[in-house]
Amino acid sequence: MSNYFKPSPENKVSTGQKLMSIPLRHLQQAIGSLGDLWRTPFTTFMTLLVLGISLTLPATLHLFVKNANNVVSQWDSASEITLFLKLNIDDKAGQNLASRLELYPEIAAVTYISAEQALKDFKLHSGFGDALTYLSENPLPATILVTPTKRSGQAVAAKDLLLKLEKEREVDQGKLDLEWLSRLEAMAKLIEDIVIAVALLLCLSVILIIGNTIRLAILNQKDAIAVMKLVGATDSFIQRPFMYAGAWYGIFGGIFANIAIFTLAHYLSSAMTELTALYHSSFTLETLSFTETVGLMGSAILLGLIGSYLSVRQHIRAIEPTAD
Amino acid sequence: MIRFNQVNKTYPGGFLALKNVSFQIAPGEMAFLTGHSGAGKSTLLKLISLMEKPSSGTIHINNQNLDNVGYRQVPYMRRHIGMIFQNHNLLMDRTVFDNVALPLIIEGYSQKEIRRRVEAALEKIQLSDKQKCFPYMLSGGEQQRVGIARAIVNKPPILLADEPTGNLDPKLSLDIIKLFEEFNAAGVSVLIATHDLGLIARMRYRTLTLKSGNMITDGIVDGLHSQTEVVSE
Repeated sequence: MSNYFKPSPENKVSTGQKLMSIPLRHLQQAIGSLGDLWRTPFTTFMTLLVLGISLTLPATLHLFVKNANNVVSQWDSASEITLFLKLNIDDKAGQNLASRLELYPEIAAVTYISAEQALKDFKLHSGFGDALTYLSENPLPATILVTPTKRSGQAVAAKDLLLKLEKEREVDQGKLDLEWLSRLEAMAKLIEDIVIAVALLLCLSVILIIGNTIRLAILNQKDAIAVMKLVGATDSFIQRPFMYAGAWYGIFGGIFANIAIFTLAHYLSSAMTELTALYHSSFTLETLSFTETVGLMGSAILLGLIGSYLSVRQHIRAIEPTAD
Repeated sequence: MIRFNQVNKTYPGGFLALKNVSFQIAPGEMAFLTGHSGAGKSTLLKLISLMEKPSSGTIHINNQNLDNVGYRQVPYMRRHIGMIFQNHNLLMDRTVFDNVALPLIIEGYSQKEIRRRVEAALEKIQLSDKQKCFPYMLSGGEQQRVGIARAIVNKPPILLADEPTGNLDPKLSLDIIKLFEEFNAAGVSVLIATHDLGLIARMRYRTLTLKSGNMITDGIVDGLHSQTEVVSE
């Protein structure tokens, strides 16, 4: 028996053995830290709720921006020029003009809309369909939609082009849809920037929440950590369960956020469909794509790890064993 | 194994805890460290277990100069030192088995090896039947023995004990010291800090005596005579 305890300090565990045991130990510690969270269900649930909400907000804003961009892109007639032809111009002359315009180097595409077609479209989209049948004659002029090339689509160049087109004999009036579009785009850009700023702040708060939760967990385990250091545990061994706890917070917070967004989108989309149906529009609310869902989970886990890492760095080193 | 060379330790605030202390403990040697409380016993043990750094002088543990041991190496150094404390320092929310297994888990032993070694250690301290108990279910003496099992389970070459018999009655104290003697017989260097002079007197081991930071005696304490001498210091 006494031989058994003969000291043997050198290389007690072979490197191979150590490597073999690493995945197993990680798994044990990962499950162990999950068990630790489970042991304080109320605190854990509260923390997860806060995390979930903090993650849901930026993701919801992202959805908002995504859908708004979708809508805006439907009007992506960036600096499209609408030419209203004189009422006395007939179809043939109109089409003539259209084919002439197509030859302009500044123009990328030309669409001719006859007066009858314009009326039909108007009936379809405006919601005044029935009322229009009472009109004895078509009040709408034929129109030509001109899409300038990219270069001539710039604000100043497009204005020049407009002046040039207005000089055409058949054209009554030209309209450049530039201002409201650039305003809308600027607004969309602003909203996007705000969303990014808010998202960053919320991500920061996720890091802080997880960091603080882990800090409390570390302080709770202060004595145990001191004992572990005493028997030769490295900092990385001690911090591993806390890192896993951070990852678990991220995972569950991410799942919560995904469920919340899915529910929210589902709830809103039925209301949205009702609203858009009233405008004869075929707008459908887009939810998070698969990539985005994975991205949300991934960033939640990443934030969890960052939060716990910051906490662990700072607090585990500070705990030192004392002899008394 | 343990070598102090003109070690001074001053705590922040100017308190001089150890003054010019030099001594050496050979491999396989067993010695007692004694002195009144505040004499510097705990400081000396803290220096050996790398909880404190000396203000001047050098300390060698296992032929390694502690000056050259950085923060990252500290855990690996401590794995070569078994430490036993008066208050046991057990993890109260883990079983006896898990407590004893801790140093082995930290070093990455396989499950099978851990089981084998922990059971051997628990058999040694005669607590095999308590391995599923939690520390609070055990008596003070039993808890102390669990602490000893944890200290020796990874077979360190050095065993440090700080007041290991502090709260125990003389019979239990003697049992614990006998355990230390067994480890010592297997080749472990043992240093026991205690103010239980009666115990030392009965044992006839080399005794280092500290008084207000100075090492005042170093040698075999011989029976009752020396006991009265030390007390009269």
